[in-house]
Amino acid sequence: MTSISVGTHAHDAHPAGHGHAGSFLSTYVFSRDHKVIGIQFLFSTLLWFLVGGLLALGVRWQVAWPWAEMPVIGKMLFSGEGGQISPEFYTVLFTMHATVMIFFVIIPILAGAFGNFLIPLMIGAEDMAFPTLNMLSYWFMWPAFIAMGASFFVEGGAAKAGWTSYPPLSLTDLNGQTLWLIGLTFVGVSSMMGSVNYLTTIIQMRAPGMTMFRLPMTIWAMFITAVLQAFALPVLTAAGFMQLMDRTLGTGFFIPEGWTANNAAMASGGGQPLLWQHLFWFYSHPAVYIMILPAMGMVSDIIACFSRKPLFGYKPMVYSIAGIAGLGFIVWGHHMFMSGMNPALGMTFMVSTMMIALPSAIKTFNWLGTVWGGNIRFTTAMLFALSFVSMFIIGGLSGIFMAATPVDIFIHDTYFIVAHFHYVLFAGTAMGVFGAIYFWYPKMFGRMMSERWGKVHFFFTFLFLNGTFFTMHILGVAGFPRRLADPYHYQTFHHLQPLNVFMTWCAIGMVSVQLIFALNFILNIFIGEKADRNPWHANGLEWQAPSPPGHGNFDFQPVVYRGPYEYNSPETTEDFYPQTQPPPEQHPPAETEHPAPQPAAQ
Amino acid sequence: MKNNVFRELRVMSCLALSCLAIVTVALAGCGGSDAPQFQLNMVAIADAQVPAAQQQELANVLEAMYGTPDEPFVLGDSHLDIKLVRVAAGPVRSDQFGRETGLYRRHCGHCHGTTGDGQGPTAMLLNPYPRDYRQGKFKFKSTERAAKPTEYDLERIVREGVPGTAMPSFELLPDTQIKALVEYVKYLSMRGQTEIDVINAISALGEDEQLDTSRAVLVDEILVPLAESWTTASEKIVQPDKPTAEPNSEEKLASIAKGRELFYGTAANCVKCHGPSALGDGQTNDYDDWTKPLVEMAQRLKDQQKSLNENPDIPAAERNQQEAQIAFAHEVLTNDALPPKNAIPRNLRQGVYRGGRRPVDIYRRISAGINGVPMPGVGPATPGAQGTLKPEEIWNLVDYVMSLPYEPASRPPRQDQLRFSQTQQY
Amino acid sequence: MGKFWSLLFLLVPILGVACFAVAPWYKIWLPSDVSEHGHMIDHLFYFILWLTAVVFVITEVALFWFMWRYDGKGQYRTAKFMHGSHSLEIVWTIIPSAVLLFIAIYQMNAWADSKIRNPAAGPDGIFGTADDMPPTLEITARQFEWRLRYPGLQAKGKLGGDDDIFVVNDLHLPVNEEILLDLKSSDVLHSFFLPNMRVKQDAVPGMKIPVWFRATEVGTWDIVCAELCGWGHYKMKGRVTIESREDFDKWLEEKYRDQTATQDTQPVGQGDSE
Repeated sequence: MTSISVGTHAHDAHPAGHGHAGSFLSTYVFSRDHKVIGIQFLFSTLLWFLVGGLLALGVRWQVAWPWAEMPVIGKMLFSGEGGQISPEFYTVLFTMHATVMIFFVIIPILAGAFGNFLIPLMIGAEDMAFPTLNMLSYWFMWPAFIAMGASFFVEGGAAKAGWTSYPPLSLTDLNGQTLWLIGLTFVGVSSMMGSVNYLTTIIQMRAPGMTMFRLPMTIWAMFITAVLQAFALPVLTAAGFMQLMDRTLGTGFFIPEGWTANNAAMASGGGQPLLWQHLFWFYSHPAVYIMILPAMGMVSDIIACFSRKPLFGYKPMVYSIAGIAGLGFIVWGHHMFMSGMNPALGMTFMVSTMMIALPSAIKTFNWLGTVWGGNIRFTTAMLFALSFVSMFIIGGLSGIFMAATPVDIFIHDTYFIVAHFHYVLFAGTAMGVFGAIYFWYPKMFGRMMSERWGKVHFFFTFLFLNGTFFTMHILGVAGFPRRLADPYHYQTFHHLQPLNVFMTWCAIGMVSVQLIFALNFILNIFIGEKADRNPWHANGLEWQAPSPPGHGNFDFQPVVYRGPYEYNSPETTEDFYPQTQPPPEQHPPAETEHPAPQPAAQ
Repeated sequence: MKNNVFRELRVMSCLALSCLAIVTVALAGCGGSDAPQFQLNMVAIADAQVPAAQQQELANVLEAMYGTPDEPFVLGDSHLDIKLVRVAAGPVRSDQFGRETGLYRRHCGHCHGTTGDGQGPTAMLLNPYPRDYRQGKFKFKSTERAAKPTEYDLERIVREGVPGTAMPSFELLPDTQIKALVEYVKYLSMRGQTEIDVINAISALGEDEQLDTSRAVLVDEILVPLAESWTTASEKIVQPDKPTAEPNSEEKLASIAKGRELFYGTAANCVKCHGPSALGDGQTNDYDDWTKPLVEMAQRLKDQQKSLNENPDIPAAERNQQEAQIAFAHEVLTNDALPPKNAIPRNLRQGVYRGGRRPVDIYRRISAGINGVPMPGVGPATPGAQGTLKPEEIWNLVDYVMSLPYEPASRPPRQDQLRFSQTQQY
Repeated sequence: MGKFWSLLFLLVPILGVACFAVAPWYKIWLPSDVSEHGHMIDHLFYFILWLTAVVFVITEVALFWFMWRYDGKGQYRTAKFMHGSHSLEIVWTIIPSAVLLFIAIYQMNAWADSKIRNPAAGPDGIFGTADDMPPTLEITARQFEWRLRYPGLQAKGKLGGDDDIFVVNDLHLPVNEEILLDLKSSDVLHSFFLPNMRVKQDAVPGMKIPVWFRATEVGTWDIVCAELCGWGHYKMKGRVTIESREDFDKWLEEKYRDQTATQDTQPVGQGDSE
């Protein structure tokens, strides 16, 4: 069983339901197969990506042309005001843009879609350790989808307190905020289920020969991400419950003594608004790494594959991910330098924040090292992966400005911050995710995406994204604050309108070119060229399974002989060397838990 | 392979084009630009039971007299300055000289509403609700209780804001813009009052009578007296004839003591509403003049429904008509009015004075009362004021009220313990 | 196509640097600095800007060069087979960490001056409690305005008397004097931001947070709210006027006179709407 070569099983023709007499419902809807769940996550998050993008356009419209008639939405909701949107609707727009993008797109697309799809395939397992829990982790997203979606239609509209939901403002909000908190709780529960599953699967279910240091970077990143989630999420969930209780049961965790707003009756009080900020950022700063580490992992795989060269410094890459995760827990205070937290504490957080730039730098240098001396193939996936590196450099370097506390006095809560996290989250993670979609699409759907249209999509996205976000740095340097419905109310910012108009046009362009991606993605599920098992000539285990893999993933028992990045190894005639291919001149190892030591990797 | 690429190209471009076409059509369909309109005063209409046909006539009359939000118009008899009104009206723009127009929609409209009905999209979030100008009643002003405010009064409110409410200060706008906004508020207020007058005229009509839309009625009977009430406002300013005692003097202390007696006494009877502790916790279940009609209307509808239910022998035709009326009125109450809130007497220990903190402001509040809310005037007998107190007694009350925030009772010792300083650690 | 894509990536450092180079020319840059400590912040900003610019250009150009040079062009097996370099890893671990630590230590003084060395705490230390210097005024942020409260004229700089002077949004301060503000909030979080004085501090309900700076030029500038405080966040605009001590005293006196008016100053006839 173990030493069966790849070719003999190319005839596997049981896509789903292999060994299961499942109905349509249990095969495609309430499926416990990790691949179906992953694709369900992918479709849901891509739909929300569209919603979040349109919300962003709303924000950009108002910032470029405040009080001008907003197309479609303004007409629909505010016809009495001549189509100009109200300022509280603007706050809804940016609050929900961030909420949707972070909690419904970035986190679930990385951990939910790619984590689910790739982990068992890449470690050579049949499925997740807890398939039912896995299914639940997807279906627990739905109450969150419904709560957030419904919050747009309750009186007063959706949450209006920013995605950080700082009390006491969030306590004065109407029911939209309650629904927001409920939605957040369900997202938390879903992620928690996922992370428990990933940890168990990665630790327990690796194929014979797959030692920890033979795991692809993607799996390492998912593993560390799951650790982060498992440790940080309970804090957010608890904080969310506390805020929910403050709102509904009259407790006072975040309400100071004798506090009242909007002439309402005095609250019981006795709490501290800063407590929420500490609890929130204790989760949300590690969450920033939850939102980037898996993308880093996937990008490492893509870059190594298309450079046809082993990943430069595999172990330093692993250690730096672990370093980011460790340091990630002690830097949350850098979101609070201006918050009224003891400034001496700010000094401590400043030093730890400076230090967390180090592992990111090491990773960047190693990616450059991987590309150096390679034999680069400019596929769409590779272009997106390279742009991840290029953009992550910008996002990482701009982080140093705000880590420097005195400079942060000026740029805190300005567009400089907006530029920084969009470079990390959109130009970084989202570009990495696009690359990953182009890369693993053949494995997901058994067909190829169009390279030609993929490159068109890349070209315009790359241009427009820089047009939109790079200029934000300049705005930030000019002191332009975030979240103002009418920034030109201030004389200081009057001259910045033309730049904002330019950025809005770029943003409109950026959202519209995603239409190319949507068509490329949807159509090629049906009409794309059929893909064979290993269209990219990659080394990973997943590429030895059929495309798309059937239930149970592998049509043979994979045994691993080496690390995932042995491209261009002198040992083989091909320029790739699959992890399952037995080394020449060596007897296949016995079916033990500890296969023979192998030379490769480090 | 090649074929495949071409097929793909074809399919994709066809689909992309059709998507674009759909989006364009959708945008064109929804994006058709119809200018905002003034809304009719549906509460007054439902109250007076104006039939649908005459609602249209009402709208026509108002448009003929005042124009539309984008293109306002005023009759010369209104004594309004159309140039200023135009600067404040219309969509938010600036002309080629950088001069801004559409000020009202930029700064005021989302709370006070395009019509000045106090029901902009933001209004429901606020407590108290923004002012509805259409009754022509303004609370914080220098004139007698029932009189209109002077232009200076409105300007002061725009500049200073109303502390303790969501009305912010627009101090930093240029003078010309503030003047334009004040003029526009007057314009909306006159328009709203004209509307109410015309509705009353309609409801006074007999069965077969038509509304007389001649100039003699609309201008001479309705507009001219209205405009006069605005132009003569400055003649009705309440001016204290002598100043009060110097601060920190013996006299002042005596005055405060006297004011305290008056506060709890029966003549002024402040304690009834503001409460024995002056925390504004006396009578708190009353309504202001903007809310009272809504509450009364809701009560009337309830009674009407009850009598309908109790009298089964009402003929079907009349029953249907009454039920339709009730349904219509209910709809108006939910769609065209904000949920009623009580008028809460001021907590006098906070040191927050909505109408301004100058002694003369407080004097006027006590002397003339506050128009539109239960606060009565106790000053010399003028319309709406009872004339129960002498001017020096009013000064005593002013001194007492202004000393309240500094009484120990207003500052619990806790306040001092709450002095968070640098050393506090979180 | 490889060359084309490499050039596209070369655009990133070129346009990136150009963007920052051209922006000051269009006056889209740091607003003028009129405070005493502001130059330290600006200096740090420029220091980090130059440092990051160098790293940015080097890494982005390296990426471009690798893409250009190692474009596969359909060739086969031209890549180097290597797994990394131990010494390189050490080099690019130690150099960045040294630089980052240097920045961290280098800026500590500026931070301490701006936020820790409270002039009210006296010369002896950070955690002193002596009220050596009374606050110039108290600022209470509320939705959506800045309520300012100056000590009364008789109170000799002590707040809380019944002659305190109340002003909205219109902050006046004397030039070249150490200003100490007590920042409070009466409802939600706000942030007191003076772009031209490089001052920013959140106002937190239930806390009184000291803010200090020294303005060095006469003029008027904006006060900006920099923390989301509700639907009217954008409305929370104030104005700071820096003026000479005499002008400031005169203004304060005028405010006091206006506030204690027992007769109206309303010009008669003003109400006419002609």
